[in-house]
Amino acid sequence: MSELPTETPSVWEASARLFERWRAGEQGALDDLVRLLSPMLWQVVRASRLDPSTAEDVVQTTWLTLVRSGDSITEPRAVAGWLTTTARREAWRVSRASGRQQPTDDEAIARRLPDEPAPEGQVVLDDDNARLWGCLGKLPERCQRLLRIVAAEARPDYSAIATELGMPVGSIGPTRGRCLDKLRRELAQAGGF
Amino acid sequence: MVNEQPTGPPVHPDDTTLLTAIAEVWAQVDPPPVDLVDGVLAAIAAEDLEFELLTLVETDGALAGVRHAAPEDGPDTGAWMLEYEGPDVRIYVRFTRIEDRTRLDGWVVPVKPLSVQLRGDGQAEPLESEIDEFGRFEFPSVAAGLSRLTFVDPARGSKPRVTPPFWI
Repeated sequence: MSELPTETPSVWEASARLFERWRAGEQGALDDLVRLLSPMLWQVVRASRLDPSTAEDVVQTTWLTLVRSGDSITEPRAVAGWLTTTARREAWRVSRASGRQQPTDDEAIARRLPDEPAPEGQVVLDDDNARLWGCLGKLPERCQRLLRIVAAEARPDYSAIATELGMPVGSIGPTRGRCLDKLRRELAQAGGF
Repeated sequence: MVNEQPTGPPVHPDDTTLLTAIAEVWAQVDPPPVDLVDGVLAAIAAEDLEFELLTLVETDGALAGVRHAAPEDGPDTGAWMLEYEGPDVRIYVRFTRIEDRTRLDGWVVPVKPLSVQLRGDGQAEPLESEIDEFGRFEFPSVAAGLSRLTFVDPARGSKPRVTPPFWI
């Protein structure tokens, strides 16, 4: 747990408790677990550059896999990690099977958002977030994806991410560090964080 | 610039702070669809069903997407088709009306050794048939009314696959 002590330990704790209650027969606990973790799974899957509709399918498949094989999870605290790993592998499998590993158009459009006057109904970031977003956009693409996954998951399975991004396993930890350092430099240049 | 204040945010945020901020900005830039959770819950609910519901994917051109298999004021003679899809199977159903009698036949792709049942308002008892070695099945004469087809795999014990109701 000490790898990334963000505020997310509470998410792991909460998901562990909901999982236990669901395994004990409380159906509503599964609904709450879905509400709690689906936004995180969405980020993990979208970082694989799947289009929104396919990403939604992958999130669904991930939950169905849990419903079908949840018995195999003996440690409730592992459920959030199990789900994110399952989601990432499924996203990877789908994107490979369909050749959909090209950057999606909407991602490219989203990337430009902070620099442009946002039309009504579009995302409006506050100054800090706009600066962070602009700086993220200056990082190499693999850094952007890696940081998105790591940020979403809080406790990533580095060997799986390495396979997905085509990096040697040992380099992920240091790569994450280098990506974060690059981001810090960009932020400093942009006026701090 | 906002960070001229002495009380401003740190210029060198630690990993945790940065990753938390990255997660937040992505959540704003690419939020999940509003119906993501509902879609998952619906998929889980369907999973709990005793059967697999097939999806209507196509009706033949003459019907222009109308769900009714039989046009109410249709001709005494004619043929029309419905096409259903499941996770591992595609099922084509053809209706042929000859005067007051309707013949239903169809085929299953890929070929699976399934038994087929037709239940309907007009049928006192379900009609039964089998998928043959070419994936075909047939009910020579079926009664009018709201009906549905059930495909059962006797060997593998998988869930029955059921079409949504359709009109004959």
